[in-house]
Amino acid sequence: MRDFKKQGGFTGIAASTRVRLARNIKGYPYRGLTADQYKQIAGKIWDALQTAPAIAPSFTMTEIRPKSAEGAALVEKHLISPELAQSGGWLIASTDGGVAIMVGEEDHMRLQVMGSGLCPKECMEEARRLAALIESQVPMDFDENLGYLTACPSNLGTGLRASVMLHLPMMSAAGRIQGVISAAGRQGFTVRGAYGEGSQAVGGFFQISNQVTLGVSEDTIIGKLVALTTEVIENEKKLREQVRSQNELQLTDRIYRAAGTLKTARLIETNEAIDCLSNVLIGLSMGYLSGVSPTAVCEVEQAIRPAVLGGQPQERDKKRADMLREMAKQLQISE
Amino acid sequence: MLCQNCNKNEATTYYKENINGQTRELHLCPECAAKLTGGTPNFSSFFNEPFFGQSFLNDPFFGQPFGSMLSNPFGVNATQAIGGGRRCPTCGMTESELRRTGRAGCADCYKNFSDILLPYIKKLHGAAAHVGTTPAPAADQPKADPVEGLRAKLSQAVQAENYEEAARLRDEIRRLEGENHA
Repeated sequence: MRDFKKQGGFTGIAASTRVRLARNIKGYPYRGLTADQYKQIAGKIWDALQTAPAIAPSFTMTEIRPKSAEGAALVEKHLISPELAQSGGWLIASTDGGVAIMVGEEDHMRLQVMGSGLCPKECMEEARRLAALIESQVPMDFDENLGYLTACPSNLGTGLRASVMLHLPMMSAAGRIQGVISAAGRQGFTVRGAYGEGSQAVGGFFQISNQVTLGVSEDTIIGKLVALTTEVIENEKKLREQVRSQNELQLTDRIYRAAGTLKTARLIETNEAIDCLSNVLIGLSMGYLSGVSPTAVCEVEQAIRPAVLGGQPQERDKKRADMLREMAKQLQISE
Repeated sequence: MLCQNCNKNEATTYYKENINGQTRELHLCPECAAKLTGGTPNFSSFFNEPFFGQSFLNDPFFGQPFGSMLSNPFGVNATQAIGGGRRCPTCGMTESELRRTGRAGCADCYKNFSDILLPYIKKLHGAAAHVGTTPAPAADQPKADPVEGLRAKLSQAVQAENYEEAARLRDEIRRLEGENHA
């Protein structure tokens, strides 16, 4: 079975990559669709995937009931949007979690490909292949001038939103994020805190994504994103080295304490956990810690979110601590 | 100078934000600066640089930032939103609704309200001409006169997951079919 989940470089700083294509199926309006119409659309997409026997067995189709706990958990796993969890709809996803096709969002179909590290090109390639497969069976709304038609004009053209989640604790601490936001804005990209729009960036996680979708090809958008994020990553690395040479004692103290907390805590709240994971990620990428991959840390970072864990707060804090201790078991201090 | 946010600590950083065209300038201590920019205050003490540092990315590509253009989509005001105006014959979307929601109700809204939407689209993207992927021709038209060889190749291409080749073959089949019918 083929891997849909991509793997890219800079895993210590680039936490994850996501590419999304928005499409609308010909003959349906963009609002006021019935549950039956969404079911029909999901069925058409599902049938299109079934025409490619090599990949069909890798996909499952799930109905998302409005405002359900399962929906909330899928949001925390970044498989569906909060809007879809709210309104309900369908999710067609690859079993490895690399591809998620949402039906019932603002646009009929939102095809997402996700990967770890910096891998926009690989994710785009996969998204392009899958979109082409689906479109070979299901005609989409397209206009010669406006490209793929979307409910919101901000997604017209390619319908592409490509984003990279970056771990930038030092850029953030040095007050450099504003500079990144300005530079990204000049190139048609936006920077926001990792969890939801306008939210605080817990643990120094930021998402950089393209704003412009029309009049620029997918390849240009992806190329710009890679160039921009690579430059930001290089700057974060420089700052880390600066801290290493000037404040190593305080830096290692923080990293080792975080590792200690993750290895020993019996109860831990989300924010403290994210903060510790952030420090451990720095430790891993700077060579102060070893034994666990940065990718594993990024995955745990998503798994310990309240909606993924479920249950009462006290239970969650215990469950979270248990998961973190399990992950941190192999964590070693390299002195 | 004291921090203008907490009025307690010495201000060491200069903070400037621009939200939808409204500019705010503040002199802040490192903790407040970190809070306001979503940063972790933990590492702030490691750095003794001016808040903005140097601007290390100077490659204007699309011109202006778009943040300020995204809210209040079509410059709608309360008076316009109340009025009815035109209606899309396909989906029933009214002009006022379009202005209020900033969303098209169907594909035809882009034609029926092009006078409203096009200027906004140009402002938003800096362009109104699509570049990039174009779709494979529609599969919902009758395939009365199949071109067998190409069809077999198309099937193989799909099986091999070579969807771009499949799209090309589909184009070719479509073209030949068009000629046959002409």
